[in-house]
Amino acid sequence: MKMNPPVKIAKKGENNLVIHWQDGSKSDLNGYKLRISCPCASCVNEWTGDKILNVNSIDKAVRPNQIFNVGRYAMGIKWNDGHESGIYSYDYLKELS
Amino acid sequence: MSKINENIVRETLKLRNFPQLEEAGMEFELESLRIVENEIQAKIKIPVQLRGKADLIREALELELIKIPGCGGAVLEMGYKIESGSAAPKTPPGLRQVKNVIAVASGKGGVGKSTVASNLAAALHLDGFSVGVMDTDMYGPSMSKMFGVNEGPGVDENKSLIPVTTNGIKIVSMAMFTDDSSPVIWRGPMVSQMVQNFLNNVIWGELDFLIIDLPPGTGDIQLTLTQMAPLTGAVIVTTPQEVSVIDAKKGLKMFEKVSVPVLGVVENMSYFQCSKCSEKHYLFQEGGGERISRSLGVPFFGGIPIETEVSAAGDAGTPIVWRKPGSQSAQTFMGLAREMVERLNLLMDKSGSFLVNYNYQWDQLPAEA
Repeated sequence: MKMNPPVKIAKKGENNLVIHWQDGSKSDLNGYKLRISCPCASCVNEWTGDKILNVNSIDKAVRPNQIFNVGRYAMGIKWNDGHESGIYSYDYLKELS
Repeated sequence: MSKINENIVRETLKLRNFPQLEEAGMEFELESLRIVENEIQAKIKIPVQLRGKADLIREALELELIKIPGCGGAVLEMGYKIESGSAAPKTPPGLRQVKNVIAVASGKGGVGKSTVASNLAAALHLDGFSVGVMDTDMYGPSMSKMFGVNEGPGVDENKSLIPVTTNGIKIVSMAMFTDDSSPVIWRGPMVSQMVQNFLNNVIWGELDFLIIDLPPGTGDIQLTLTQMAPLTGAVIVTTPQEVSVIDAKKGLKMFEKVSVPVLGVVENMSYFQCSKCSEKHYLFQEGGGERISRSLGVPFFGGIPIETEVSAAGDAGTPIVWRKPGSQSAQTFMGLAREMVERLNLLMDKSGSFLVNYNYQWDQLPAEA
């Protein structure tokens, strides 16, 4: 698999996160969709893969507060609803878009 | 008496036909050059980032070589070179010429860590890299067995240890200092001492990769090791079962604490492929390795199938990638080695052509229409 790190991160509208990748492609990710796709262990049962997160409890207007790198392969996102443990690998972000 | 001018050959094999590469600060390295009558036989090493373009580069250079007066044919062999990723200032003396030190670790024992380590080493070597293996698993050192080594390391006049070389791979193993049949009962400090010896007193020489096979677990010994050795990165081995995945996760956390980048997770014994129905049977639960990778945001290197030949090859002293290169497992190991090198390249990339360290508040992000 070819590694494809981000070259630029931006926002669009009220809560969309836009990531420009090294290969020239672009991911336009809706904040709500991104939040309910959080892969962390408190949102997804690591063992069964079942979603623990109650998606109905999430505000449709949720947006990131803080976006930061985790190592070289992933992005950490802290949300304005207080959720902070999500680490999204770049591969996963590409998959979501 | 050959009529081909060697200097012209050397010049031709430089970068002048590849101005973009020259600009990017890349270099080719001429490893060997022989002129037999009117044929040029050379081996060059190109930066491993260009692996995908190796054939194009080879063809282009061969075409240029043919044009040299007196040349009747040119055979070019390609190798790869990799930059050094371990920039630790207090690198032990024996490791100064080692470009990358990679730890292979597992939370749990018996998951096939040594099988992965030996095949990773063998795969890297097949790809043309110089490779060493340091087996520090004092409780079950198995590297000697897996590479079919029966002798101990040599000692030079300065009482430094000289690794055993087998099939081009340099090996030092705890097994060389212990007896196969009796258990090793060592206290932590004794083990640390031994490992320190391995790091300080072994003359590894020039290596592209030194693979360290760590003892299973995440205790004092592993922590000491990860701090003493200037690790470039770590590879975590697990099996699909929950008990193993839970421990692998601890391993991941340990490396995180000591700031060693985890290059990826390998899942061993992923499935059994039946030779009769060619269906993949997931004997254990499916996808354990992939799930922890996902939840922790580290790369997943893929799953290695259960093949009797893998363990048979290890027992026979030849890693499967050498013994049965066409097998599913061997192919997976080769892929794993290549992906690891890719990940390393990304770690070392200082071109600034992508974001490495960033921390944005939402308000700071530029807005797009």
